[in-house]
Amino acid sequence: MEIADTYYSKDEYVETASGNKVSRQTVLCGSQNIVLNGKVVVQTGAIIRGDLANVRTGRYCVISKNAVIRPPYKQFSKGIAFFPMHIGDHVFIGEGAVVSASSIGSFVYIGKNAIIGRRCALKDCCIIEDGAVLPPETTVASYMRYTAKGTIEGGQGNPNFVPAAMQDQMVEYTKSFYEHFLRNPQAG
Amino acid sequence: MANFMQNSVVNYACTCGLLNPITKLFFCRHCLKLRCGFCVCHEVDSHFCSNCLENIPSSEAKHKKNCCTNCFNCPCCQHTLSARATMVVVPKKTDETTKEGEGDSAKAVTRKMYYLSCLGCRWTSRDVGIPDQTVATGAWPENECSYQTRFNALLEYYQAVVLQDKQEKQEYIRRKTPKTHKFPSLTDRTGLTVSMIRRQIGWPDKNTQKAKPVNISPSLATDELDELPADIFTQPINLRNVTNIKQRHGQPSDQPFNVNKLYPQRRILWIKRSLRCRQCEHNVIKPEYHPTSVKYRIQLFANYHVPDVLLVQNEQILRAGQSSYIVLKLTNPTLHDVSITIKELPTLAEELQMIEEFKLACKIKENTATSAAAESLKSITSSPSLTSTTLSRQASLIEEPRLVEQKSNVKLHENELKFVLNQRDDSSEFDEDVQTPREEPEFIIWRKSNRASIRLNFTTDESLQAGDMVKVGFTMEYTYVNTVSNTPTTHTLSARVFIDAGKIADE
Ligand SMILES: [Zn+2]
Ligand SMILES: [Zn+2]
Ligand SMILES: [Zn+2]
Ligand SMILES: [Zn+2]
Repeated sequence: MEIADTYYSKDEYVETASGNKVSRQTVLCGSQNIVLNGKVVVQTGAIIRGDLANVRTGRYCVISKNAVIRPPYKQFSKGIAFFPMHIGDHVFIGEGAVVSASSIGSFVYIGKNAIIGRRCALKDCCIIEDGAVLPPETTVASYMRYTAKGTIEGGQGNPNFVPAAMQDQMVEYTKSFYEHFLRNPQAG
Repeated sequence: MANFMQNSVVNYACTCGLLNPITKLFFCRHCLKLRCGFCVCHEVDSHFCSNCLENIPSSEAKHKKNCCTNCFNCPCCQHTLSARATMVVVPKKTDETTKEGEGDSAKAVTRKMYYLSCLGCRWTSRDVGIPDQTVATGAWPENECSYQTRFNALLEYYQAVVLQDKQEKQEYIRRKTPKTHKFPSLTDRTGLTVSMIRRQIGWPDKNTQKAKPVNISPSLATDELDELPADIFTQPINLRNVTNIKQRHGQPSDQPFNVNKLYPQRRILWIKRSLRCRQCEHNVIKPEYHPTSVKYRIQLFANYHVPDVLLVQNEQILRAGQSSYIVLKLTNPTLHDVSITIKELPTLAEELQMIEEFKLACKIKENTATSAAAESLKSITSSPSLTSTTLSRQASLIEEPRLVEQKSNVKLHENELKFVLNQRDDSSEFDEDVQTPREEPEFIIWRKSNRASIRLNFTTDESLQAGDMVKVGFTMEYTYVNTVSNTPTTHTLSARVFIDAGKIADE
């Protein structure tokens, strides 16, 4: 099924010069530390904690409703330190997901209500299922699928868990998501 | 292309008759056929550890029993263990302290020590009394089980038995068959030396000495069993201390009863697969070796070659026995113009004939393959050092073709819808959306570069009940330009497409 057009009103979203569409009802703490690299959608209720450390996303990312992006911390004997978070291109973060990864590659799909523990590393082309909980410092390799049951499945060339053409799929999906996320023409 | 995480409403029938979304299909450029996961040979391309992302050559992987040497899994919850560093006060060695005076605690050194910890369930290597290590990786003690030496002896014994068996068989064949072949062995023709092959299959270099299995003491059954301890009937069991099935299977050599016997488990390696068409043995997928690479050296995804069909949101109310329509968006992924014809699905007789033809094609190929295999078998068995199975390729199994399970429950209005989709032009994304006025057939609603939306009219079957899924099936014939050879050739191929159009509305 083709992704249906979603309309937002002019009052609800701000569109930046680089094409980012950011809801006004978001909590962007420390916005000077947040870099959205263009054509990124940040939906209503999302929280990005730029006050803790830098957050940088690539192009065509989708941060869905009520998702929380929180840079990871590491505990030292003298206290804790926060580390910047990098998110690649064409990454989809589902509704209500809490993400504390230290790095997220490109073409990554994070499902609804998934919890990504601190300092996890999500490599390019991986899938986190809806509701999956990743303990801290988990590495999810490319073409792996982290299931809601807590297992890791897949591998490149295995057609049953992550599509072989994951890269193309994510490019297509995030682009069409962006293109179908439109300002309501009537309300202007 | 739709959201690949949801069930696809548009499915293509594979050559074998199974339905799959286009994202799960491959297209063999040599057979010009669709292939699903069952119609391809899955082969191990490379081994890697999914935690440390290290590539491990297959010979080394075999040697390490397909486990990573650096990474461990939690024996409790099977999550990855991480090494934690702590500062530990280590008393100086006794001989040093006696020299410098006794009881001088200030002389004790603090050292960085490591232990393994699970961040999923808080299990640590200290829980089971594994001493902390001075290095984070590589020094963790192997969990030796008490039967290890017995297992090794048995393994050695049976390897010797197999070797002896082989030697005797070869001896027998050599004495029986006279040398008739011009080349007495396969090795003469291929340039492989006998010793090279021997090394490849892991045999010792010379077979002058006859392998003789060393005698081992056979296992003995015993009638004497220890009595159950008395407190097993009286003491309440604490299930927190008893291992579960998963934990026991994680440690198959001793399958501990108590959680204090759980040891860190070596992480099992993962593989990258290459997929090979079963009919022509060409690769349809071959990934890059490096574990962090997401690229392919060969990638024949179906959506690079076959026009993509997308169902545009259907707002029609569907009722049984009434005419309706759906809007489809078709995309041409190739660099050639494609003419498409949409028509009715093949009848049962036609479908059966297609299956027959496919089976016949496979049989011809199989016959040639088996005769070739027999040929090579002959030459191999005459060679003194090889048994028949070592070099002959495994005969490929073809997925039994079948009728497509899903049936269309609509009647298309038009017999044929013919139109042309322009070639893909990557720069067109930046073009302005200008509708060039041209003669268009009535059913084309919208068109832009390599994409077009069409309207497909149909009448649903009378017999459908409220809540039934309306399934629209059609054959899509499309032209395909084959660029494998130097002179591109155009073929007309067809794909059977099935679409879930929506449910019959309640009255
Ligand atoms: Zn198939
Ligand atoms: Zn490893
Ligand atoms: Zn654990
Ligand atoms: Zn083929």
